[in-house]
Amino acid sequence: MNPEGDASPAAGDIALESRGVGHGFGAKAVLFDVNLKLRRGQFLSLVGPSGCGKSTFLRAIVGTHPPRAGELRLFSAESGDEGKVIDAPGRDRGIVYQQYSLFPFLTARENVAIGPMLDQTSLAFRCLRRLRWRQLRREQWRAAGDMLEKVKLADAMNLYPHEMSGGMRQRVALAQAMIMKPEIILLDEPFGALDEATREDLQYMLLSLYEENQKAVRQGNRPPYTLIIVTHELNEAIYVGDRLVGLSQFWDWRKEGHAAAPGATVVYDKPTPVFDTKTARNFERFTAQREEIRRVVFEPAPPCDRHQHVVYWREQTAR
Amino acid sequence: MIRRPIKSSTAAFLGVLSVLLLLGGYTFLAHRQYQRNPDDTTIPRWSQLHKGLQSAIEVNRRSEDRWLVVDAVASGQRLFLGLAGGVAASLLLGLAMGCFTPIEAFLHPPLSLLAKVPPTAALAVFFVLVGTGNNMYVAMIAFGVLPTMTLTVNLAVKEFPDELLYKAYTLGASHMEVVWTIIFRQVLPRFIDAFRLSIGPAMVYLIAAEMVVGDVGFGYRIRLQSKLLNMSVVYPYLAILAAFGFGMDSLLRLLQRKLCPWYEPRR
Repeated sequence: MNPEGDASPAAGDIALESRGVGHGFGAKAVLFDVNLKLRRGQFLSLVGPSGCGKSTFLRAIVGTHPPRAGELRLFSAESGDEGKVIDAPGRDRGIVYQQYSLFPFLTARENVAIGPMLDQTSLAFRCLRRLRWRQLRREQWRAAGDMLEKVKLADAMNLYPHEMSGGMRQRVALAQAMIMKPEIILLDEPFGALDEATREDLQYMLLSLYEENQKAVRQGNRPPYTLIIVTHELNEAIYVGDRLVGLSQFWDWRKEGHAAAPGATVVYDKPTPVFDTKTARNFERFTAQREEIRRVVFEPAPPCDRHQHVVYWREQTAR
Repeated sequence: MIRRPIKSSTAAFLGVLSVLLLLGGYTFLAHRQYQRNPDDTTIPRWSQLHKGLQSAIEVNRRSEDRWLVVDAVASGQRLFLGLAGGVAASLLLGLAMGCFTPIEAFLHPPLSLLAKVPPTAALAVFFVLVGTGNNMYVAMIAFGVLPTMTLTVNLAVKEFPDELLYKAYTLGASHMEVVWTIIFRQVLPRFIDAFRLSIGPAMVYLIAAEMVVGDVGFGYRIRLQSKLLNMSVVYPYLAILAAFGFGMDSLLRLLQRKLCPWYEPRR
């Protein structure tokens, strides 16, 4: 048995593993014993009450705030079965924030092309080998243009972030992350500041990426996108993800012998219904699950047993 | 209403009107002074100003040089060298302080103290350290603008959002690339703003120093001609200084627009 519930998934199938991750700031404990295995190609929604450490967990995955306890491992073709312990930021993880999602001094195309530029060339190369750099830049701009077309922003290539709407900026930010082909893309409340219509539009875009994953799997290929989205909007969490994880500080830690609250942990981990871009949004399909999440993750009382609703892998095995 | 926008044509009209009022006011004052005392030189008429300017441009019989040319060369050289040194050093130090906390911890206290010392008051120190030649003026201007500009760049770098920093790392940037390719480009317009603001103080330091110890330069000439109440030379010199400062400022604004077109809406 693993801490998440049941049998381990097949090796090579996993993109990220969190093993007993704990975090805090000074004396304040934020995260406690967070265990999670993320399947490649999965879209995982992370929800939880304010201050439960969702963003802290994301920062730990980015590598800017490594965990105090436990470890995070990222698995790629290069890292092998053991994976790579995350202790610093790297180009194998992409991130999209709610604010400051783009570099304000670059146009949409430059914002998308800056990743390949930083990844494929050095400062010295760009200064000393001008001719080769110019050729390479043309290729990178072409790739960035293709990526912008993919997120339906072909007409906005030369716009600066301040000339774009919030929705356009988030699309560019997603293109910026996707062009790097990272092992995992992290979205930290990416649609939080957008109006409902734009938000819906971007949710459809995520669903279309998920469909690309499914298509790749059907063709026997590796799914191109693995994603964790942090959101405070439950409908969105269920709608765009195929799995929902709830972090909460309201769990029964006294039962486990702790004298003081040790921090938030995973109290909910279940699959969610998979939607597609062709069928209409039907919120009734997940009303019951939404109520369950609200009760287990967001209600302070009564404190829940942290293992009771962490059944994702058990259900997968049963299927 | 507060901050209600006006048409650009109205703004241009008001700008021209203010300059015309200034010139008209001066013409009136000069004329009234002439009527009171035709020999007075404190508020010269336009014709007297023209003569004064001519005397500064023509070869002087006693010194056998053109005052305006030798003064402009001397003051210009000192100002450009001083500003170039001070601005370049403050950019490097400000970036280093904003990016690396040990450097900030080390440099912030002395720079905060030095920023409060008027360089003209420390003229004797520069005199002792680098001598009386051009080096003294250059050092005074450079050290005069350095602390404030460094702290301004430091602040601008510290305002750089952490999120963009993390993002740059996830895109594969090295530390050096984060500094030069990302942070530098973001703080560049703020740096140019700080540069623009430092031109005025730099000119103050230079003119004050030339007035005290100079034997050539704008400050020296203004002091000398003021003593002789030769305002027909002093006023054109002041006008040239103002035009120079305005020209430099306009050039830097142009440069800012060219290099940082994205910065426009924040102004």
